[in-house]
Amino acid sequence: MQLRRQPLSAPRPGDTRPAAQRLAVPLLLLLALQGAAASGGPEDSGWLQDAEPSSRLLSQAARAALHFFNFRAASPSALQVLANVLDGRSWVNQKKEYKFDLVFTTEFYSAEEGEKRLGKCSAQVFFRNEKPRPAVNVTCTQLVKKERRQEEDYQLYKLMKQLKSPLNAVSIPDSHGYIAPSLRPIWDLAFLGSSYVMWQKSTPFLHYYMSQISSVKQWKTNDDAIDFDYTVLLHEFSTQEIIPCRIHLVWYPSKPLKVKYHCQERQTPEEASGTEEGSAVALTELSNF
Amino acid sequence: MSLPQTPYKYSLTQPLYDWHPWNMKWILFFGALIGSGICDRETFSGHQVFRINIRNEDEISKLNRLVNSDNLKLDLWKSPSTLGHPADVLVPSFSLQEVKSFLEDHGLEYSVAIEDLQIHKEMDSIVKSYPHLVSAVKIGHSFENRLMYVLKFSTGKGRQRPAIWLNAGIHAREWISSATAIWTARKIACDYGRDLVITSILEKMDIFLLPVANPDGYVYTHTHNRLWRKTRSVNPRSTCIGADPNRNWDSHFGGVGTSNDPCSDTYHGLHAHSEVEVKSVADFITNHGDFKCLIDLHSYSQLVMYPYGYTTSRVPDADELDMVARNASKAMASLSGTQYQVGSVGSTVYTASGNTIDWAYDNGIKYAFSFELRDTGFYAFALPADQIIPTAQETWLGLKTIMEHVRNNI
Repeated sequence: MQLRRQPLSAPRPGDTRPAAQRLAVPLLLLLALQGAAASGGPEDSGWLQDAEPSSRLLSQAARAALHFFNFRAASPSALQVLANVLDGRSWVNQKKEYKFDLVFTTEFYSAEEGEKRLGKCSAQVFFRNEKPRPAVNVTCTQLVKKERRQEEDYQLYKLMKQLKSPLNAVSIPDSHGYIAPSLRPIWDLAFLGSSYVMWQKSTPFLHYYMSQISSVKQWKTNDDAIDFDYTVLLHEFSTQEIIPCRIHLVWYPSKPLKVKYHCQERQTPEEASGTEEGSAVALTELSNF
Repeated sequence: MSLPQTPYKYSLTQPLYDWHPWNMKWILFFGALIGSGICDRETFSGHQVFRINIRNEDEISKLNRLVNSDNLKLDLWKSPSTLGHPADVLVPSFSLQEVKSFLEDHGLEYSVAIEDLQIHKEMDSIVKSYPHLVSAVKIGHSFENRLMYVLKFSTGKGRQRPAIWLNAGIHAREWISSATAIWTARKIACDYGRDLVITSILEKMDIFLLPVANPDGYVYTHTHNRLWRKTRSVNPRSTCIGADPNRNWDSHFGGVGTSNDPCSDTYHGLHAHSEVEVKSVADFITNHGDFKCLIDLHSYSQLVMYPYGYTTSRVPDADELDMVARNASKAMASLSGTQYQVGSVGSTVYTASGNTIDWAYDNGIKYAFSFELRDTGFYAFALPADQIIPTAQETWLGLKTIMEHVRNNI
């Protein structure tokens, strides 16, 4: 994979952003990033630019940025996954803070067979002290027109309101990788909630994939919104651990997503059944509930 | 510019439960492949053995109804001679779902033969079909006493030749690795005498193929936990089970990228080769003394890698290995466009000490490669059945590329 280096602020030929989605970060951090970028020199703010940024690190940062993007877009029918990193730079300073400047392509998460549409994003990602929950500034080209996206979300919403709850102890996908078409909306919504968690947990050295929904606890549609309580198994690189996370989200089309979660951090000694056995898992980490 | 009008993603008319063939295909796959004369055919004659508990007269009559139903084509292997003894029924692939539904609807207790027996059955079948080329080599037993079953492909008529080791299924949850290996086994056997490349390789070298390097873990992913990775050995001072067999090799053992916590998924084990599954392979290869190539199949991430894993520093043969790996990757992409990235383990995924190919390289096996097969994280370990054959087919092109280079350079 070849990385092409271009100046940060130079316009890229062919780069059209007619209706790009702009997502905000805390202003202070944004200024900090811009300050460091504008100066351009490696000696400013103690930032040391990586002469040969590892493609692995760049991909991980891009993934974290995309998790954040998906969470903020709150659109389960229009989730995007990383395709390729086109261009990337990384810096680190003495305080062990990591900064990334990235351009990457994305694909539709739920692409139908043969439907291959590539999106493009640019992002700045900032990790404080090798810690998780990076600050992200990301803009992406629009893969689907807003009206269509809203309509798809609404279709998904209608479907979920029709589904009876709770689903009978299904793993999604099952052991053989199968997701029934009727359960697809659940998977997409679960992935949306997981995106929040995966963003929150990402560090420069840990990244995540969603492996499986291991259980669905509850499913309500109070007041119109979908209230979804489930457990997801995240696959953590590079430890290879499977992290069960209990997630509780509330979603209504075109509204911001509300998420609470609790991940089981340490693998417990062997038990035959699921992770919810025993004490009730207290949802302690709140976000924007 | 308006976007094309594709139908909405979510249909409101889908039933809640769909009968589907995917489960079947995975189960079928490990059944016997009918392919005589045509090496790439996709027909299966998979089957499973159901052991059904019979507790009363009523259940006997239910069983008879099931077995006698014409379209299901069931085969009663062992009829319940007395109440309380189970019946064994052979169920062909196309009837699996119906039989399960019937049993469940009528409250009949049953258990299904576990799939590792089916992989071994398939291996038996290959040996039987190609006796002049293929033989079974039993190199040891797993912790839970399952067979470590290797296929040897040789035209050497008993004389020792330089050899290639193909390793698969060392991590239990990476099912596509074992599936690819068993497909490859039949492909090698069938293509010998037909395909120039594999024929010329086998004229000079032997191939050893281990489809399930971690049988205990593999069974466990079927019976208990689909995402289990390690072996199933008992750790003396912990309730946690198993060690990561890909951190247990005697090469920078216990170094970076491993854990000394038995509960961790990268626990290196008590000492190098403490895991009997690893020791069996290591001892066999060492005693043989003339292995030139070792390829270790994993999933997922779509990568073709060479040593080292314990460091990001380059091995002396990095240039050559990188070139071979790139050629393999190119060959793999030529089939369906699947992209496999190339690099050393340490610089491509993460540092991982005590892994298989580091040990191989340090023990004189220059052509040591590790593959991460499909996909890149969408389905991850639970790759759907319709991707097995495409994955195996493209991987085959990569394997041939490497083996051909080895043959031409020893």
